[in-house]
Amino acid sequence: MTDLSVASFLFLSGALLAIGLFGILTRRNFILLLIAVEIAMNAAILNFVYFAAFAGTSQGLSGQAIAVVLVGLAATEIAVGLAIVLALNRQRGSINVGEATTLKL
Amino acid sequence: MAVSFGIVGLLGTRLKKLEYGGWIAVGFAAAAMIVGLLVAAAEMLSPGSYTDQSFTWLHLPGSPGTFPNGFSLVMGSLVDPISALMLLVVTVVGFLVMLYSIGYMHHDHGLPRYYAELSLFLAAMTGLVIADNLLEFFLFWELVGVCSYFLIGFYYEKPSAASAAKEAFLVTRIGDVLFLLGIFLYFTVYATAGGGAGWAASGFKFVSGSTPFLAGAMGGNTPLLTVAGLMMLAGAAGKSAQFPLHAWLPDAMEGPTTVSALIHAATMVAAGVYLLVIASLFLGFTPDDRLAIVAVGGFTTFFAATMAVVHPDIKRVIAYSTISQLGYMVLGVGAGFAMVGMYHLFTHAFFKALLFLAAGSVIHAVGTQDLFKMGGLRKPMRVTAIAFAVGALSLSGIPPFAGFFSKDDVLSSVYTAAQSNPAYWPFLILAYATVFLTAYYIFRAWFLAFSGDKSRDPTLPAAHEGPWTMQVPLYVLSALAIVAGVLPFTPSFGSLFSLGGATSVPPTYGTTDLVLSSVSVGLGLGGILLARALWGNGRVYVLAPDSALQPMRTILLERYYIKAGYDWVGLRIVYGGSRVADFFERYVIDGTIHGFERLGTKLSNGLREGQTGLVSDYASYVVAGVIGLLILLLFVAPLIIASLGGP
Repeated sequence: MTDLSVASFLFLSGALLAIGLFGILTRRNFILLLIAVEIAMNAAILNFVYFAAFAGTSQGLSGQAIAVVLVGLAATEIAVGLAIVLALNRQRGSINVGEATTLKL
Repeated sequence: MAVSFGIVGLLGTRLKKLEYGGWIAVGFAAAAMIVGLLVAAAEMLSPGSYTDQSFTWLHLPGSPGTFPNGFSLVMGSLVDPISALMLLVVTVVGFLVMLYSIGYMHHDHGLPRYYAELSLFLAAMTGLVIADNLLEFFLFWELVGVCSYFLIGFYYEKPSAASAAKEAFLVTRIGDVLFLLGIFLYFTVYATAGGGAGWAASGFKFVSGSTPFLAGAMGGNTPLLTVAGLMMLAGAAGKSAQFPLHAWLPDAMEGPTTVSALIHAATMVAAGVYLLVIASLFLGFTPDDRLAIVAVGGFTTFFAATMAVVHPDIKRVIAYSTISQLGYMVLGVGAGFAMVGMYHLFTHAFFKALLFLAAGSVIHAVGTQDLFKMGGLRKPMRVTAIAFAVGALSLSGIPPFAGFFSKDDVLSSVYTAAQSNPAYWPFLILAYATVFLTAYYIFRAWFLAFSGDKSRDPTLPAAHEGPWTMQVPLYVLSALAIVAGVLPFTPSFGSLFSLGGATSVPPTYGTTDLVLSSVSVGLGLGGILLARALWGNGRVYVLAPDSALQPMRTILLERYYIKAGYDWVGLRIVYGGSRVADFFERYVIDGTIHGFERLGTKLSNGLREGQTGLVSDYASYVVAGVIGLLILLLFVAPLIIASLGGP
């Protein structure tokens, strides 16, 4: 663990966030969109894990705890997101978010 | 006493509004009359006494320089000789008219409204009479004005009545505004000057304890006071229908005849004269003011009488006559003898109410106001004919009727004033000419209505006397129209006409000057004889169409085109001005507002384009926003902090 510098870990997180954002901005398929959101979120969770590890066992516990909570949060988010996907599919017969634009003025 | 009267008057109105019948109103009016008589009697028993009851309504702290004690607005009632006299007139005529209304208004709709308004008027009028300070006076002054408006417009279904009510309200409003300005001016002048400071600081009260604030104590003869006096004159002119604010009174005849008798002959229009009397006693007029007052009064007297000469409508003839007689009162005040004006007010209230009520009987009986359709009413309506004749004789100034004494006093007081100021002469001559015209027009009306064998319009219903409620007031007022002139000669009654020795009791004038009296009586008789020659025995004097007098008649019927002039001013100037204002409102103000509105719409429409509904678009806005914030935070903020010399 100690061989790797903080910068390389942060680079990984940044790359994950960029990939997730790219997916969020370009995907029209709702499921792929959700996956992209997950990727971006995992970038954030990873950050918590790194810094908890660097801080050492006594101070890093809270960071690990938050990482676990965030994993749970991501799971609930996906559950709600998939429920929306199902509802959308049932109503419109399509899960293309480009077509679900009726909530505008 | 006065306080209880105020309570009766004011609460009475409220009670009456709840009730239907006029008898309750009559009852309250009778109670008011009894109180009025008692007050007058009490005043006669202790001549020249002042009873003032008041409380401070609000107190304004003053500044140390000009007003060390601040200014108190008081409300209260004051019984002094003139208010007792005026109270007597108002309540007696008020009661008689109220009684007469029972018979006269019997067939009309909206009676609760009528009696409530008439009661409110009586309450307001008595309040005006016993007001003990100028501001309270003004309050009641407005109240009677609004009652007048209500009652003129009583037949509000008729467009002419509605517009007459509006006209009366608006025209008197001009006077009222000027009156208020006059009060302010007096305040400004007296707040800083000599004896008047106490008057101004004590809230415009007419008395201090049992001593009147008299004009002499306030002193001063500045241009500002002259202007203030002219404002008072304007207020009085609006209320008393003096030139050039006279046009509303003839139109006010659209109201019921009883209203004309009470409000537009005996009481409310006399309030203007009462104001002048009060102002001349308590505030003081400068010589210039007095000349202006005489000019207005003298001119109006003659001017209104000429219009009465040709008019075919019985009520309007009497209305013009009222304007003309009010002019006499104003003349008396302007000549410097305020109590002479009061004297004529006193007698005029009775004989003019009598004339109106008699005319009301005629209208009630035949259902028309057109003199040229009437005729021969003497036989079926003996009481009315005699009552009208008594009123007419009194109006014409034939002794021993009441009008003779008071009118003569007015004439001789102007004569006395003219001795010292020759500028008064033309108005004295006008006043004398009016004596002749007065006698002529009122007897023209009498002969047209009552003489002859039968009515000129065969379609009129057979005339009959009214019920007893209509006849009793005629009897009483006839008696008063005969004796009212002599009453002030008795010492006790005469004391009502003296106020702190400030003015002379009227009977010292006039009757002693036989030449002046005989001239006026001669003119009056001449007028009557001319009327008899032209219109007597049912004759109708028709002016030849090519007569030189024809254009004059047209001018008189058109009221010297003054009304048309008002309309022109109203239409062209006021309406034109309003159009300009409307244009400004519509295009400049609204235009600006609409411009902003359109700008907002445009902006919103632009922003709306961004609202695609696409989740990814929104996400990109968020990302762009975050990146923007980051740039601000990382690159711009350090620059700003550095430029401010921060860390």
